[in-house]
Amino acid sequence: MDPIWLILIFIVVILVVFFLLIYWGFYNRIIRYENRIDNSWAQIDVQLKRRADLIPNLMETVKGYMKHERETLENVTKARSAIMSAKTPQDSINADNMLTGALKSLFAVAESYPDLKANQNFLNLQDELTHTEDKIAYSRQHFNDSVLAFNNIIETFPGNIFARWMGKKERQMLQIPEASREVPKVSF
Amino acid sequence: MLVEDHIRKNKRDTLFICIFMLLLLFGVIFTIGYILGAPPIFSTAIGLPIAIAYILITYSFSVQSVLSAAGARPANPQNRDEKILIYKVEEMALAAGLPTPTVYVQDSRDINAFATGKKPEEAVICATTGAIQQLNKEELEGVIGHEMSHIKNRDILVMTVTVGVVGAIALIAEIVIRMLFWGGISGGGKGGRRGGGGSNVIILILAIIFIILAPISSRLTYFAISRRREYLADADGAYLTRNPEGLARALEKIKADLPDDPKGSKTVAPLYIANPFKRALRNSIWSTHPPLDERIKRLRSM
Repeated sequence: MDPIWLILIFIVVILVVFFLLIYWGFYNRIIRYENRIDNSWAQIDVQLKRRADLIPNLMETVKGYMKHERETLENVTKARSAIMSAKTPQDSINADNMLTGALKSLFAVAESYPDLKANQNFLNLQDELTHTEDKIAYSRQHFNDSVLAFNNIIETFPGNIFARWMGKKERQMLQIPEASREVPKVSF
Repeated sequence: MLVEDHIRKNKRDTLFICIFMLLLLFGVIFTIGYILGAPPIFSTAIGLPIAIAYILITYSFSVQSVLSAAGARPANPQNRDEKILIYKVEEMALAAGLPTPTVYVQDSRDINAFATGKKPEEAVICATTGAIQQLNKEELEGVIGHEMSHIKNRDILVMTVTVGVVGAIALIAEIVIRMLFWGGISGGGKGGRRGGGGSNVIILILAIIFIILAPISSRLTYFAISRRREYLADADGAYLTRNPEGLARALEKIKADLPDDPKGSKTVAPLYIANPFKRALRNSIWSTHPPLDERIKRLRSM
């Protein structure tokens, strides 16, 4: 065969191998980033469940002390059932924000019940509920970080081409409703 | 991509430190064998296995040796302050997307903290009781965020292995010198017996080896920390907490509360968020940490 052809075939083979390597790299990266998003959602979900599980305990502890705060207590219970019945991630986050608000007013009301404030069980629950709230906030932050990394890779060149072949679409970040942007300050 | 490069560099540095120590140790044993007139094959046969065994053992026990040198104990969740510390570590681990590290506490009045471990799955974060008591929630979060970034960037690998592999020399030197001292006394008591004299020669040789190695190794531990690594961990930590002010205020408290009597061995000093030894707080080319003022300034300008 003509040596020119040999060189051409050689170049084409090199190019194809080069292209396959790039595709391989991007494929793995896109899948890894996508898994990271799913995993960070799982983390949020665990914390939401944990938080919802703590509520009946809290209600049990508080009930005896706060007989005249029916509305405050009902709001907490309502927010809890909203978490349990939420279908989409954004719904869960919205319900959780409702719960945060309801708990904030419950803890504020609790300030005027010295007996309750001295209750060790109540203090532990308050610590733990605040902690899960912080954990949810940080997992949500990590979720959004992961979504950002994923979106960046599938929207920039050449990732956007590979993503189209793989049928990957841009993911949505979790939005925080305006009212609950302000994180309650709890000093210790 | 930058983080991956940083991780790769840290792994390379760790390998470099291990190989360097292997060669150094072997070289010293070989040289002493040569001076004593031993055939080179004999020196190699003795020196190489010792050097390799030393690296393997100190590498595998580096985390334990760091923790015991610092006198750290596992955090007690029954204590409210320590429970909050555990909570903060869990939160920062979630923010960084890392497995939750084990939490240790060091009983000391100083405000300080360090992270250790060879990989994120087996990482440890340790804070002093002073830090838990004197820092508020945001400041503690800033400090833990800084440590969590060291874990994420695999800085803990270089730092821990350097301290473990290199710092062990200083520890062994101490033991050998003590042995030499006691050996000298018992040798004197037994008079001119040949057996006692022979073991003294071996101990003397060991002592010389470690007296040569100890200062070199303590200098080397200072390379475990680079200023670049600290600035990066400050920035990454601030990104995790979304609150550079928290860490800045924690560093201010550390600065205001200059340590009186740092606990633990000097070899672990490079691991801490701020150098626990007063002397080294001065800004010099040998200092392990960037000056606190500069770090605070950079955090405030974020």
